[in-house]
Amino acid sequence: MTLLTTLIGTLLFAVAGPVVGCLLAGLDRVISARMQGRVGPPVLQPYYDVRKLFEKERVSVNSVEGVYVACALLFALLAGGIFFSGGNLLMCVFVITLSSLFFIMAAYSTRSPYAEVGAARETLQVMSYEPMVLLMAVAFFQAANSFDVAAVLRLDHPIVCTIWLVFLGVLFILTIKLRKSPFDLALSHHAHQEIVRGVTTEMSGPVLGMVEIMHWCENVLFMGWIGMFFVWANPVSIVIAILIVALVYFLEIWIDNNFARVKWQFMFKSAWLVALIAGGVNVAFLAFL
Amino acid sequence: MEFSFGLIGFLIVFPLIVAAVLLFVRQEAPRRVIVCASGAVIAAASVILVVMNLGAGCTLMEFESMALDFVCTGISVAIAAVIIWFAVRYKNLLAGVLAAVQVVGTLILEFTFSHGIEVPYGLYFDSLSLLMTFIIGVVGSGICIYALGYMEDFQAHEPEGAPDRRPLFFALMFVFLSAMYVIVFSNNMEWMFTGWEVTTLCSFLLIGYTRTDEAIKNAFRQIVMNLAGGLGFLVALYCCALTVGTFSFYEFLVIGQNNPALTTLAVTALAFAGITKAAQMPFQTWLLGAMVAPTPTSALLHSSTMVKAGVFMLVKLAPVLHVSPAPSIMVMLVGGITFVLCSFMAISQSNAKRVLAYSTIANLGLICACAGVGTAEAVWAACFLILFHAVAKSLLFLCVGTAEHHIGSRDIEDMDLLFDRMPRLARFMMLGIMCMFIAPFGMLLAKWATLVSFVDTRQVALIVILAFGSAATFMFWAKWLGKLSGIAGEPENVEVTVKPTEWVALLIMACLLVLACVFLPLVSTVLVEPYVASVYGVLGQDISTDNLWLSSICVVIVVAVLFAGVGAKQKCRKVDVYLAGISRDNEGRAFQNSLSGTTQATTRNWYMESVFGEARIAPVGVVFNSLIMVVAFAVAFVVTPMVF
Repeated sequence: MTLLTTLIGTLLFAVAGPVVGCLLAGLDRVISARMQGRVGPPVLQPYYDVRKLFEKERVSVNSVEGVYVACALLFALLAGGIFFSGGNLLMCVFVITLSSLFFIMAAYSTRSPYAEVGAARETLQVMSYEPMVLLMAVAFFQAANSFDVAAVLRLDHPIVCTIWLVFLGVLFILTIKLRKSPFDLALSHHAHQEIVRGVTTEMSGPVLGMVEIMHWCENVLFMGWIGMFFVWANPVSIVIAILIVALVYFLEIWIDNNFARVKWQFMFKSAWLVALIAGGVNVAFLAFL
Repeated sequence: MEFSFGLIGFLIVFPLIVAAVLLFVRQEAPRRVIVCASGAVIAAASVILVVMNLGAGCTLMEFESMALDFVCTGISVAIAAVIIWFAVRYKNLLAGVLAAVQVVGTLILEFTFSHGIEVPYGLYFDSLSLLMTFIIGVVGSGICIYALGYMEDFQAHEPEGAPDRRPLFFALMFVFLSAMYVIVFSNNMEWMFTGWEVTTLCSFLLIGYTRTDEAIKNAFRQIVMNLAGGLGFLVALYCCALTVGTFSFYEFLVIGQNNPALTTLAVTALAFAGITKAAQMPFQTWLLGAMVAPTPTSALLHSSTMVKAGVFMLVKLAPVLHVSPAPSIMVMLVGGITFVLCSFMAISQSNAKRVLAYSTIANLGLICACAGVGTAEAVWAACFLILFHAVAKSLLFLCVGTAEHHIGSRDIEDMDLLFDRMPRLARFMMLGIMCMFIAPFGMLLAKWATLVSFVDTRQVALIVILAFGSAATFMFWAKWLGKLSGIAGEPENVEVTVKPTEWVALLIMACLLVLACVFLPLVSTVLVEPYVASVYGVLGQDISTDNLWLSSICVVIVVAVLFAGVGAKQKCRKVDVYLAGISRDNEGRAFQNSLSGTTQATTRNWYMESVFGEARIAPVGVVFNSLIMVVAFAVAFVVTPMVF
C-alpha cells in the first residue's frame, strides 16, 4: 500500500513540484529585485532560463556527471513523493540526503578544482544541518507518535505547539538547505559572492537544467517541512500553513539579501550549537514530560 | 537435529585440521588448493546449517565431556605459555604478569570451585548464532581465499631473504574461524572462555606477523588489553561458580533476567570483556594498532571475527542488561561515547585503513549502545548492524588492500582517479562505502531502527549522540567517495594484475552486500526476528516492511547506476575543465600562472584537524569511559550479594 501511494505521490510531485518550485524561484527573483530597488524579471523567468538550458548543446567534461545529477534529481523527486503522500518523514530525510550525495559526487567526478572546493563545502553543509534534521524527525515522532507525515492530520493542535523550539532550529538550518546567503558556501545565486561558481562550475546545458529543477523540488519539499508544523485535523489549517510558508520564504529572501557570506567555521559551529540546544532540549523535554 | 549438531562439531573441528595441515605446507600451489577447497567447504557447511534451521529458537544439545574440560584447561595453559614466552623474549613484563595471573586463576577455578558444577547441555544454537555462523563461514572463509593472492604479493614486496611465515599465517586464520565457532556454539561458559582466549592469542600472533618493532609493540598492546578483558571473563566465571552456581550460558541468562541483582557483577565483568574485545574507548588503540598487520588480518579482525565476538557477547547479554541498570548504563554510555568520538576522529584521518578502523570502532560502539538499551527493537537493530558491518567492512578492507598493492599507498589522497585506474575495484569500494553510511543501504536502515529504539526508551543522550555521530559519518565517507569518483583523461589501468582469488573474494562480498541489502526484509523474517522473538517473546522490527521494500528498490537503482549507468558512453561533446586562465595540461590540471610559468592545481580533502584532531578528542573519551567503567564496577560490587 505504502509502495503504491509513494509511487503515485512521486509521479504527482514530479509534475507539481517543479511547477510550484519554478514559481517560488520566480517570486524570489522579483522580491529580491524590489528589495534592491530594481524592477526584476518576469515571474516566469526561471522557466525561460531552464527551457533555454535544455535547448543548448550537451557539453561535458566527462560522461558520468549527467548520470549522477539525474540520480540526484530522481531521489529528490522520490523524497518529495514520500513526503507529500504522507509517508515516513525519516525516510524522506534519508532519501533527500542520498540526493545531496549524488549531487556532491557529480561535482567531485569532474575533478575541476573549483567544483571540488564546492563539493567539499557542500559536504560540510550536509554535516552541519544533518543533526538538526534528524532531531526534527525524532521530535516529530515524539509529538505525533508516528514518523508518518500523515499523522499530523489526526492531531487536535498544530505540532509546532509542542516542538516550537525544534521549529526555530529548523528555520536556522533552512537557510543552509535553501542555499541562501549567509550560508551559501557551496554555490551561490549571487555573482558578487563568488569568483567561480562552486559545485556547478562544470555543469552546463541540460545537466545544469536538471540541477535547477532539482533545486526547485528541494525548495518545495523544505517548504513542505515548514508547513507540516502548522497543519492539524482542521482543514483550515492548510491555509494557515501556506500563509506561514509564504512568510518564512519571505524571511529567507530578506536574510539572503541582507547578510554577507560567513566562513565555514561559523556556519558549522553555529548550526551544531543550534541543533544541540534547540533539538536536544526539545527532545529531552518531550521524552521526560 | 542430529545432523545440525554434527555440522556444528564439523565446523569447530574441520578448520583445526585444515590449520594443522597448512602449517606444514610450504608450497604455493597445494596451499591454494587446500585453502580454496576448505574455505568453500566451511562456507557451504555454514550455509547448510543456517538454511536447515531457519527460524530456529534456542536449541540446546546434550553434550558433556570431562575430557574436553581438560583439553580446554590444557589450551589455556598453552596459551599462557606462548604469551609468557613472547613476553620474556621481548621483555614485556605486563603481558607476562597478566598471562600468569590468568592461567593461575583458570587452574584454581578448574580444580577447586568448578567441581560439582556440570553443564549437561554443552552446545547450543539459536538464530543469533546462526547469523554469526553465516558471517564467520562465508565472510571469514572469503577473506581466507582473498589472503592467498594478497599474501603472494605481500611476500614479493618484502625485502630479500625475509622469512616466509605464510604457513603459520594461514594456519592461524583457520584456527581463528574455529575459535569463533566455539564462542558462538558453546553453552558451557568455560569452553566459551577458551575460544575467547584463542582468538586473543591468534590476533596477537597475526598482528605481530612481520615481527618488526612496530608490529611487536602493537601486538603487545593488543594482548595486554585483551588479557585484561579475559580477566574480566574469568571474574565472571568465578561469580558464576560462587553465586549463580552454573556455567550454562543459557541458564545464566535466564537467571539474570529473573534475578538481576544476583548476576550484576558477572554481567558487568562479561560486558567489560566484551567492551575490550570490541575495542571500545579507552581500548580503541589496540584495533588502531592492528592495522600494521597484512590487510587480510585487519579484514578478519574487523569484520567476521575478534571484535564481533565482543559484540556477540554484549548482544547475548542484552536481555539481562535490560533489567540490570549498572552494567546497562556502562555499556550504553561507553558505546555511545565511542560512537560519536570515533566518528569525529575519522574525519581527521587520511590513512584509509585508519579511517576504516575508526569507523569500525564507531559502529561497534553503536552496537554496544543497542545492547545496553536491551529492548527487542534495539537487539533487532544490533543484529543488522553486525551483519551489514561485517560484509561491508570486509569488502572495504579487501579493496584497500588490493589498491595498496597496485597504487603503492593506502592514503586516501593517493586514491585520486582510482575510478579510472582501477575501474572495477573503485566501484566495489564505492559500493562498500555507500553501504556504510547512506540510505537506502542496510547499515543506515539499521541505524534508523537504532534511532527508533532509542526514542522508545527515552535515551535522550543517545539520540543526540546518534544525530551528531551520523552527521560526522556522512562527512568522512562522502569525501572519500568523492576522491574515488574523480575522472580525468584516460590514465593507465593498473588492475589487470590483480589476482583471480582476490577478485573472487571481492565479488563474493559485493554480491553478499547487495543481496543482503535488497532482501533485508527476508533476512529480518527468517533470521533476526526468530532470535528476538525467542528471547523477548515479541517482534523487534520497528520499520514498516513497506518502507524496507522501498529501500530495496532504491538499492537496486543505486547499484544499477554504479555498475551499469556510470561509465556508459554518452553522446556529448567532451570539453576541458575550467582553470580560470590559460590551461597548459588539462588532464593534469596545470595552468599558466602570472609569471608565465606552469602551476598545477591541487586539491586535498578537508580533514578539519583543528576541530576533530585525535589529540583533542581521544583523551576525552578515554577519561570519560574509564570513569564510567570504574563507577559501574563499584556499583556492581555493592549490589551483588556475595556468597563468600
